[in-house]
Amino acid sequence: MDHFIFFSSLLLLLALLLGSGVWIGFSLIGVAVFAIEFFAHRAAGPPIALTMWSSSSSWMLSSLPMFIWKGNILFRTKLSEDLFKGLAPLLGRLPGGLLHTSVLGCTLFGAVSGSSVATLTTVAQMTLPELKKRNYPEHMIIGTLAGPATLGLMIPPSIMMVVYGAMTNESIAAVSIAGIIPAIILSAMFTVYVVISCSLSKDFNPAQEPKTDWREKLYASRHLVPVVLLIAMVLATMFFGLATATEAAALGVAGALGLAWWQGTLTWQTFIDSLMGAVRTSAMIALVLLAGSALSLAMGYTELPKMLADWVATLNLSPFGLLMMLLLLYTILGGFLDGISCIVLTLPMIEPMLRAAGIDMVWFGIFIVLVVEKAQITPPIGFNLFVLQSMTGHNIFKIAAWSFPMYLIMLAMVFVIIAFPGLATWLPHHMMHRISG
Amino acid sequence: MALLPNRLYPELTKIWSRFDRLYLYCGYLSAFFLVCIFAATLLQIVGRLIGYNPHGLTDYVGYFMAASAFLAMAHALNRGAHVRLELFLAMMGRFRIVAEWFAFAATTAIAVWLTYYAWAQVYWSFELGDISQGLDATPMWIPQSAMAVGVTILAICVADHSLRLVLTGHHQVGTPSASL
Repeated sequence: MDHFIFFSSLLLLLALLLGSGVWIGFSLIGVAVFAIEFFAHRAAGPPIALTMWSSSSSWMLSSLPMFIWKGNILFRTKLSEDLFKGLAPLLGRLPGGLLHTSVLGCTLFGAVSGSSVATLTTVAQMTLPELKKRNYPEHMIIGTLAGPATLGLMIPPSIMMVVYGAMTNESIAAVSIAGIIPAIILSAMFTVYVVISCSLSKDFNPAQEPKTDWREKLYASRHLVPVVLLIAMVLATMFFGLATATEAAALGVAGALGLAWWQGTLTWQTFIDSLMGAVRTSAMIALVLLAGSALSLAMGYTELPKMLADWVATLNLSPFGLLMMLLLLYTILGGFLDGISCIVLTLPMIEPMLRAAGIDMVWFGIFIVLVVEKAQITPPIGFNLFVLQSMTGHNIFKIAAWSFPMYLIMLAMVFVIIAFPGLATWLPHHMMHRISG
Repeated sequence: MALLPNRLYPELTKIWSRFDRLYLYCGYLSAFFLVCIFAATLLQIVGRLIGYNPHGLTDYVGYFMAASAFLAMAHALNRGAHVRLELFLAMMGRFRIVAEWFAFAATTAIAVWLTYYAWAQVYWSFELGDISQGLDATPMWIPQSAMAVGVTILAICVADHSLRLVLTGHHQVGTPSASL
């Protein structure tokens, strides 16, 4: 009974703080203080300060601001223009036409940027006007941007996976590499959807792209060389164990700066802008993450996660049943919170439960990213919806409805990786470990 | 709900812009530490290639990381980069201001509480002569001060914005779209 009162008072406090608009990071710290002082009956100040210090002064975590910075630099280059120029001749004549440039553009840009919002903004600023000009149906243009942009969170580098790795002490490189195959499959599923729905739809008759022969196609694809090099540099060094995630991130920044310099878009102003944008985003994520570490500590003191794990054990759920429960939980939470907050808020509670159920934590990283990714395109709170709202002026519920097929595809993907866990775990097991980390 | 007479507004705006600049300068400092992280990591890669291993470099990268993260927090808050849930606030209509008052007051209380303990940590590290356990052997109070300074500026920023909320009747935290 005591536990019940304890647990519900914590949830009540959390709901009160979050609901009244207290910043998410501060809400989590408030709950942590409350739990330690009143239920563990210990002084909360010194251990919380210490845990926030030691989580922030972590060498592993330093890949986070660098991946963000890299995305910010590339956002200010002509990379999105290059992507479109390179992809359009290759894909323009397929059924679905230039919609494929959105899907594949998001996939490729997701592999150089770690965030869904950055991916969406970069790709959309190019494809939105071009596709509108060619009379593509609005609902398809928007749907094929909102859904595939979430691949930015799935394909390494991914800010979300850095956060997940930092919270669970799993290797960031391993969790990142694990995302590659599921992301490629998901991207392929989006592509197949575009082909099928465009072939079946009667009101789909955009302007045709000019015919090009293979020589022209090959020549146009030179625009893709920089982005492919950037992807290869980061992924290959991480996969072959030549660099840790932090070092791969630094190489990525160097590559992005080099590209910007080569294109002539690197000025003092864009350099400072990219840097300041990066520190703002990093500080935002760091506050949530460090508050999450305080919450984690508080949960450890109160033994609540252990009780929760014991309680779930009495339910005799299969691992599948447990995953379905979590899927439901994240679908609800994802309606209100952004993905990183969802992960940070819940992981301290459920990690012992997962380990007790024998779930592979690298695999679970992919599962959780996929599940909270969907939240990016669910109303009322979904960051991709907000971005598209500000770019197109459509109502977010309309955008959400247009993105709904993509939501279903992502949901289907959740079941695919449950059925075939090897899709996520095979690559990291075959990574080379020349250096640790 | 504004408590502020209009004629005082220009004066206060001047003061507020000075505070904005304080947060911005801390943001620049944070950016400097991000460049340090980048440079130190590159140095490490180059060092491994030529077989030279600088002592304790990874520990320094950690300190830069903490400094960079904490020093930008106020600037991020000022520009509206930090996430908060505004869904329910939007549904509250004319009671919204009451909830906002509560939210800003609670945030200020938590930030001031954290500031106190961040400085207490620096004080005890100094007093007990706490030294890093890595190869760098840095006295811990030095890098921990960066966290304390960052949290202090953050608390000032939150208190500043609470005051602005009470005086003008609406908060002046930037829109989230300002940050990518």
